[in-house]
Amino acid sequence: MSRRPPAAGRRPLGAVVACAIAIGVIAAQDRPARIISLIPAVTEMLFAIGAGERVVAVSSFDDYPPQVRQLERVGALLDPDLERILALKPDLVVVYASQSDLQRQLGRAGVPTYIYKHAGLAGVVTTLRDLGARTGHQEGAARAIQEIERGMEDVRRRVAGRPKPRTMLVFGREALAIRGVYASGGVGFLHEMLVAAGGENLFADVPREAIQATSELILARAPDVILELRAGEIPQSQLQDEIDTWRRLASLPAVRSNRIYFITDPRTVVPGPRVAQGTELIARALHPEAFR
Amino acid sequence: MLRAADVEFAYGQTAVLRGVSLAVPTGGFAGILGPNGSGKTTMLKVLSGTLKPSKGVVSVDGVDVSRTARHTLARRMAVVPQETHLAFDYTVLEVVLMGRYPHLGTFEVEGPADIAIARDALAATGTSRFEDRLFATLSGGEKQRVIIAAALAQVAGAAAGGGAYLLLDEPTAALDLAYQLEVSALLRTLQQRRPITIVVSTHDLNFAAGVCRSLVLLSEGRVLAAGDTGDVLTPANIRALYGVEADVRTHDGAGHLVVVPIARVPAAGEG
Amino acid sequence: MIRPIRRRLLLAVAGFGTLAAASILLAPLAGSTSIDLRRAFDTSLPFVENVDAQIFFVARLPRTLAGALVGAALAAAGVVFQGLLRNPLATPFTLGVSAGAALGAMLVITSGWTFGWAGLPAIPIASFAGSVGAVTIVYALARARHGGLSTNVLLLAGVTLNAFFSALILFVQFFADYADLYRMLRWLVGDLDVASYQPILTAVPLLAVAFGVFAWLARPLNLLSLGVDGAETHGIDVRRAQRAAFFSASLATGAAVSIAGPIGFVGIIIPHLVRLIVGADHRVVLPSAALFGAAFLVGCDVLARTLMPPVEVPVGVITAILGGPFFLWLLVRRA
Repeated sequence: MSRRPPAAGRRPLGAVVACAIAIGVIAAQDRPARIISLIPAVTEMLFAIGAGERVVAVSSFDDYPPQVRQLERVGALLDPDLERILALKPDLVVVYASQSDLQRQLGRAGVPTYIYKHAGLAGVVTTLRDLGARTGHQEGAARAIQEIERGMEDVRRRVAGRPKPRTMLVFGREALAIRGVYASGGVGFLHEMLVAAGGENLFADVPREAIQATSELILARAPDVILELRAGEIPQSQLQDEIDTWRRLASLPAVRSNRIYFITDPRTVVPGPRVAQGTELIARALHPEAFR
Repeated sequence: MLRAADVEFAYGQTAVLRGVSLAVPTGGFAGILGPNGSGKTTMLKVLSGTLKPSKGVVSVDGVDVSRTARHTLARRMAVVPQETHLAFDYTVLEVVLMGRYPHLGTFEVEGPADIAIARDALAATGTSRFEDRLFATLSGGEKQRVIIAAALAQVAGAAAGGGAYLLLDEPTAALDLAYQLEVSALLRTLQQRRPITIVVSTHDLNFAAGVCRSLVLLSEGRVLAAGDTGDVLTPANIRALYGVEADVRTHDGAGHLVVVPIARVPAAGEG
Repeated sequence: MIRPIRRRLLLAVAGFGTLAAASILLAPLAGSTSIDLRRAFDTSLPFVENVDAQIFFVARLPRTLAGALVGAALAAAGVVFQGLLRNPLATPFTLGVSAGAALGAMLVITSGWTFGWAGLPAIPIASFAGSVGAVTIVYALARARHGGLSTNVLLLAGVTLNAFFSALILFVQFFADYADLYRMLRWLVGDLDVASYQPILTAVPLLAVAFGVFAWLARPLNLLSLGVDGAETHGIDVRRAQRAAFFSASLATGAAVSIAGPIGFVGIIIPHLVRLIVGADHRVVLPSAALFGAAFLVGCDVLARTLMPPVEVPVGVITAILGGPFFLWLLVRRA
C-alpha cells in the first residue's frame, strides 16, 4: 500500500496525520500480526507464503515446519481450547468449517476467522491464494502455488504415456490384519494425487473420499499395486509382517508381483504446500523407472 | 428324627440363634413359633443345611447334616419357601419335575417314573388340572400347592422308606384366608397318606394350633418352651413370647385350639 | 399334554440345527460380487490364481464361520446371564464384559501399538484382556459380601462398571485424533470380515470350554429360576453354579467380542425368541439358542454385505434394526 504524494497546496497537518493513521489501521487489518492455525496443512501454508513469523499458536497435531515445535498448542478439531486461544489475543484464527461453535464464540469475541474447507488439490491452491490475500503475502502465495504447479507438472510429465496400474491407496488398516481397511475413493486430494502420479484408483467409481474395503471387494477388484500411507516410522521387522499380512489375499496381482508399498512420509497426507512432493513419492512407487 | 443340638448362628456380628435345641420325631408335625426377628426362618435354613451353624449340630436320623452331600440330603428333605417367583415361564409340570433333579445324574433326564411321581404329587395336592398351565398364571394358593407338590416329588423315594422331611417357611403368610385353610387341610392329609415328618415355621398362632402336634417357641434366638402343642400354647407363654394378653381355648367348630389376642401387655416403664 | 423333555430336545436341536447348517452352507454363496462356484471348487487351478476360490475360501467362508461362532456364543451367553441374574432383560453386555473389551480395543487403536502374539493382531488380544479385567473387577465387587454372589450386587457392580468404563472410553475418544476416532467407532458396530481362519481357531478352544460349562449349567439354571432359596434346597451348590455361569458366559462373550466387536441384540433377541418357541427349560433353550444365534448372525451378515454393494453395512447395525423393534414389541407384549 503506497502513500499518495501530498496534493499541491497547503493541507492541515492534522488531516494528513489522520489519513496516515487511517491508512495504517487498514493496513494493519490486512496484515494480521498474531495468527493461530488449528489445521496443520494451513500452518504449513502460512509458513510457505512467508507469514510464518506471525503464527503464535498451532494445533496439537502440528509438526512442520520445525519452528512450530516452539509454539503454543491450542487443541485441534474436536477439542479447541477457546480460553487459550483468546488469551493469546489473536487477530486471525484459522478454523475448520465444521467447528461452528468455535466460530460463533470467536465471532462474539470479535476475533476474525478464516474458515478452512477441506477439498482436493484445487482446494490447496485456492486456500493458498486466500491466505495470501488475507495475510498480505500475495507474492509468497503466488510463489508457493507456482512451486506446487511446477512439481505436479514435472510428475505428470514423467509418468505420461506409461500404463496406469490399478492401485489401492490405503490410508488406514488394523495392524497385522486385513480388517478396517480404509482406501481412497474417487473423490478428494488422495485420489487426485494418485491420478496425477500416474495411477488408476481401484475405487475411482466410488463417489466418496473413503471406502471401507472388505476382503471380498479387494479380491474381486484385484489391484495391481497396494500403496499404504502410514503415519510414523515402521520398524523393519514389522514391515515384513505387514507385507505378509496382505499375502492372505494370495490372488491379488499386487501380492503376486510383490508390489506392496508403504509410505510413511507425511507429505503424502497433508493437503498443503508440499503436495507435489507427496505426489512425487507416490509416483516413484508406481513408476520407479520414470525417476532414474 | 430331626434333631438340633445347641445350635448357634450369627449373621456377621449379629447373633440370631443362641443355643437352640429341638427334636422332631419321625412322622411328627412340629411348628417353630415366634415373633419377627426371633430366628424362625434362620432356624429353618439351619435345619435344612442351607446355613451352617457356628456351633452345634443338626442331624437327620443320626447323621450330621453338614457332613451329608447336598443332593443326598435333598433326596430326603425338601423346603417350601414362603413365596416362589419364577424368573421364566415354566409350566407347572416343569416346576414339579424340578423336584426330581436331586435324583438325576449329571446329564440324566427325567424318565417315565419321575413323571409318574410328579403327577402323583400334583394329585396329592389337588393341582393335577394345572399340569400344562404356566406357573405364573396361577393364584397364590394354587402356586403354594404346586410348590408343595414339587417338594413331595422331591422326597418321594424317601417317603416310601419312612424318612422324608418337609420343611415349610411361613406357608400361609402370603395367602388369603381361604387358601390358608386349604393349605392347612392339605398338610394334615399329607401325613395320613405317607409317612413324612413336617416342620413349619410360622408366626400365625392359629395356623400352628391347627396343624402342629408339637411346638417350639423361639424368643430372640432362644427356646422359650417346647413340647406338645396343648402344653406349650398357654397364655403365659404367649405373654412371654409376644407381650400380648390372649385367651387360648378349644374351638369345637375348628376342632383345635384357637388363640384370641385380647390386649397388649404394657412393657415395663410404659404408662 | 406337553412332550417329554428328551423328545423336545431332539426336535429342537434337529430343527435349529438344520437352520444353522443351512445358513452356514448357503451364506458363502451370497456376496457383493458374483462368483463361479464350479471354478471356486476347481482343484486343477492353482489356489493363488483362482479368484473365485479366494473369494469363497478367504473372504466368505471365514466370516460365515466367525458369524456362526459369534452368534452362537452371544446367544448362549445371553441365556446364561439371564438365568444367572434371573432377569429376562439381561444381555451378555449387562455386566461390563463388552465395556472392558471396548476400552482395551480403544486403547490399542489410539496408542498405535501394533504388537501381535501367536499370529493374533493387537486389537483382539487387547479387547479380550479388557474383558478379563472388567470381569475380574465385577466379580471382586460382587464377592465382597459373605463370599457369596448376590445377583443384586452383581447387577449393580456390572452397571457401575459399564458406566465407569464408558466414561473412560469417552475420555480416550476425546483425546484421539480424527482417524483413530473413526476406527474406534467402526469397531464398536462390529465387523465379521476376519479374512483368516486364525481368529476362529484361537476362539474355538475358549468357546468349547464355555459351551461345556453351559451344558452342565442347564439344570442349575432351571433351579436358579426358583430363587436362591428355592435352588439351595434342591441339592445344588448355588454359589458354584453362579460362579460357573458368570465366568463361562463372560468367557464366551469376551471371545465373541474379540473376534467381531460388540455386536448387540443377538444376546437378547435370540433367547427370547427361542423361549417363545421351545419353552423355558434351559436344557432345551441353551442348545437351541446357540444354534439359532448362529443362523441369525450368519443371516444378518449376508444382509450386511449384500444390501448396498460395494459398501458394507456394519452387521451391528443390521442386528440393531432387527432387534430394536422386536425388543419394543416384547416389552409391549409383556405389559
